[in-house]
Amino acid sequence: MLLDAQTLARLKGVKLRARAVMEGVLSGLHKSPHQGQSVEFAEHKEYAPGDELRHLDWKAYGKFDKYYVKRFEHETNLRSVMVVDASSSMGYTSGALTKLDVATTLAGALCYLLVRQQDAAGLALLTGGKWKDVPPRASAGHLNVLLDTLDATVPGGGTDLGSAADHLAEVLPRRSSVIVLSDLLDEKQDALKRVLALRQRKNDVSLFHVVDPAELTFPFDDPTLFLDMEGEGRIEVNPREIKESYLEEFHAFLAQVKAACAEADVDYELVRTDERLDDVLLRYLARRGRRG
Amino acid sequence: MTFGNPWMLLGALGAFIPLLVHLFDRRRPRPHPFGPMAFVLRSQKRTASRLKLKRLLLYVLRTLILLAIPFALAKPELGSEANAAQVVKGPAATAIILDASLSMRWSDGTALFERGRDEARDALKDLLPEEPATVLVCTASPAAPPPPGFDRARLRALVDEAKPTYGGADLSRCMDLAARALEENPMPGKRLVVVSDMAASAFRLEAPPPTVKGPTGAPVKPEVVLRDVASGRDALGNHAIVDLKVEPALQAGPRAFQFTFTVRNFGTEAAKDLEAAVRVGETTLAKGFVDVPAGGTTQKALTVRFPQGGTVVGQVTLAPDALAEDDRRAFVLPVPRALKALVVNGAPHATRYRDEAFFVDAALTAPGSPVEVAVRDAEVGLGEDFSGYDLVLLLNVTAPSAEEAARLATFVENGGGLFISMGDRVNTEDYNQRLGAVLPRPLRVVRTSAERETDPEAETKAARLAQVKSEHVLFSPFTGRAEEGLIGARFYRYMLLEADNPANPGASQVLATYEDGAPAVAVMRKGKGRVALFTSTVDRDWSDFAIRTSFLPLMQRFAAYLTGSLEEREEVRVRVGEQVTLRPEGSQKVTAVRTPDGGDLPVKEQSDGSVVAGPVMEPGAYSVLGADGKMQPALSFAATLDPAESDLTRVPQDTLTAYFGEETVKASTGDADKPTVPLWTWLILAACVAFFLEGTLLRK
Repeated sequence: MLLDAQTLARLKGVKLRARAVMEGVLSGLHKSPHQGQSVEFAEHKEYAPGDELRHLDWKAYGKFDKYYVKRFEHETNLRSVMVVDASSSMGYTSGALTKLDVATTLAGALCYLLVRQQDAAGLALLTGGKWKDVPPRASAGHLNVLLDTLDATVPGGGTDLGSAADHLAEVLPRRSSVIVLSDLLDEKQDALKRVLALRQRKNDVSLFHVVDPAELTFPFDDPTLFLDMEGEGRIEVNPREIKESYLEEFHAFLAQVKAACAEADVDYELVRTDERLDDVLLRYLARRGRRG
Repeated sequence: MTFGNPWMLLGALGAFIPLLVHLFDRRRPRPHPFGPMAFVLRSQKRTASRLKLKRLLLYVLRTLILLAIPFALAKPELGSEANAAQVVKGPAATAIILDASLSMRWSDGTALFERGRDEARDALKDLLPEEPATVLVCTASPAAPPPPGFDRARLRALVDEAKPTYGGADLSRCMDLAARALEENPMPGKRLVVVSDMAASAFRLEAPPPTVKGPTGAPVKPEVVLRDVASGRDALGNHAIVDLKVEPALQAGPRAFQFTFTVRNFGTEAAKDLEAAVRVGETTLAKGFVDVPAGGTTQKALTVRFPQGGTVVGQVTLAPDALAEDDRRAFVLPVPRALKALVVNGAPHATRYRDEAFFVDAALTAPGSPVEVAVRDAEVGLGEDFSGYDLVLLLNVTAPSAEEAARLATFVENGGGLFISMGDRVNTEDYNQRLGAVLPRPLRVVRTSAERETDPEAETKAARLAQVKSEHVLFSPFTGRAEEGLIGARFYRYMLLEADNPANPGASQVLATYEDGAPAVAVMRKGKGRVALFTSTVDRDWSDFAIRTSFLPLMQRFAAYLTGSLEEREEVRVRVGEQVTLRPEGSQKVTAVRTPDGGDLPVKEQSDGSVVAGPVMEPGAYSVLGADGKMQPALSFAATLDPAESDLTRVPQDTLTAYFGEETVKASTGDADKPTVPLWTWLILAACVAFFLEGTLLRK
């Protein structure tokens, strides 16, 4: 199945695109990165009234003549939240798909994957400067809700990843999986820092950095009036004159983001809007698999 | 600064194009919503100052390109402000005068004449299309140039074919001729372009400056453009051989000669250790060194002994300088060959000084003399085979027998020399009868002017030589003080001669007479030989001539003359530009005169038998060909340069400007020291560099 950007662009709606991507992924996938149903022993606790009697450790009672209760890390399935940046800048495209198209398609495909594994998947959409949450659930019916939400998303407003991170820190239980899909074009200096801080709360954080090829190569020749997609700013420049400097700045930014992610133990994936998304997901899942 | 095509400067307005584009070309940029605006803004801020500088540089470079191209097309030339203010305006009939004098051969790697040719070509190139022109190559005797015309190709060919001469150039005369040629053109403007090294010898500043007829017929000054091919040089250094004397050096041998160079340094720096040499062909016969102070003159003498007689053609040389032509001088030197003389002593005496042949023998065998003498008494001497000798001297011999006289006559006919002197023993009748065919004039009787033994006033009464033909080669050295030794001799007796020789009417020539008009020396050509008759004695019997200082050189000259070793043309000195008169002797004929480079001089025979050749156009040795096509060394000669042409002193620019009139000297170009590359090539180069830099900047 052809899953290049041009082909995907012809598929209307996130549902179709996400399914197409997911099928491509499944055909190449050998092992799911998410175990689900994972129940891991964490510690013993002296029994107190109200504790589950089924968790009493009778062997420990035999040894120590005291009642101890087994405690576990998670007692439920994996909870994942797709944080999709739907700010105005995500609406940019120099080719077939906007950055938002790519982000929602990736998010949809991941939702497919998670629900298929009976993990809970949710959404946190930042659009028009407001948050729109879809709490994580593992039911198959919930998948339609997720995909419909993604399909209905239109770019708008500014980027505020920092506040998104703070919001998630409040609502998400610890050890959730947070997958951020954004172009990271946030004017606030500490936005990335606050996103990466989710990792410190024992969350599993992945970052899909979506960029357009034009942003990577700056292929403009004629004098151009650049308009800020998230504000009123505008500037008239001869692109050839600043190309070298722009590329230097932008690639330094990419390197900086990548280094920060590595330091915070956050999975970083640079996604070009013109590349095959199933490749992106396979690459991502394979890395996850290696990490165990 | 002047411009060849000033209207091209209008193109310089194009330099405003970059400014106008900058001001008015506000093309609407394509709007483009873009996400990473922060990076665009930061990049723009980072590069703003550099871009500003780049834009400024681009503006400057583009302006420079657009300025340089029209300026280059306008053909600019650099010059002083004064000259720039005097640039000729308006068309004018133009005469270009190219100095072709010897001084234009001066070279510091490039001959001035070559520069002059370039200047003349440039002058032709600079003419406006509507300006007629003519060219005059100026020499010492210039011909009138053709009227100004528009055939530029012919004028360029004239310049290309021009060659420098070895003589002077009369620029004043040339300017007059050119001015006359300009008058033939109706155009009101007249211009003289003088291409020269401005050597002072070429100008006659005492003469009035050239004028042409003005529109009203009144003389007006033409414009004068001075193109100085040696501009920037105060003086042109030069040293030269200005004189050469070649004299016998008797003390060094019979065929030794002393070459005395006169070397003059016309420069402002002393010349040291200049090599001076005498050369024949490739062989250096003598060499020395000479120092010449600045502006001074020095003489250097070199002695050369030639191994054999004959005519020697060679040259003296000086270490060559920038004008090498005057550092050598050719010479044609008759070197006496060894002579054998038979002295027939008619009155031998046991006492040497009373012997008839004593003084003659002493004179002919003096140091340096090429004569080998055999003295015999009359009986033995007249019996010898005369063909073994070049010269026979009959000294107070009674008279040869008929057979001896016949042999003597044959000897003379075949080219021998015969000298006859008188004395007591001479039998006049026998002489006249037997030797009449070779006697210049028949003998008459002995005349006694004073009785030395009896008359106490004999010395005052004694005859003296009165008329001596000093123009004859025999007596040519006896002029001035040297003549006193000749006319101081006293002659007590001498033989009177007949008025003419009936056997050879008009053949004899009297070269010296006594005070009473009686011949003292008579000579005659007979066949290929010569005969000299001395009417007194060559010892002290009839005169005291034998003890006079003039006796020895005269006897030696008799010997040389009678044997043909003393040529009458030895004093021929010809300067370049002059004609030479050759006087062939006897049956000699001159059919051609060959120049040093192998050409022929024009030859014209005169009514008196002499031949006028020339004018001589180059220095060096000229050979003369006879009727049989063979070279006649005796007539060969050397042509020398005029020493005045070696003086390369230049006329100061101010002097020339004052001479021609400040209002007429319109421009002075042709600075030899300035780069010959025209300014426009530099402008084109600058435009190319600017274009390259502009492209490089654009790619950045």
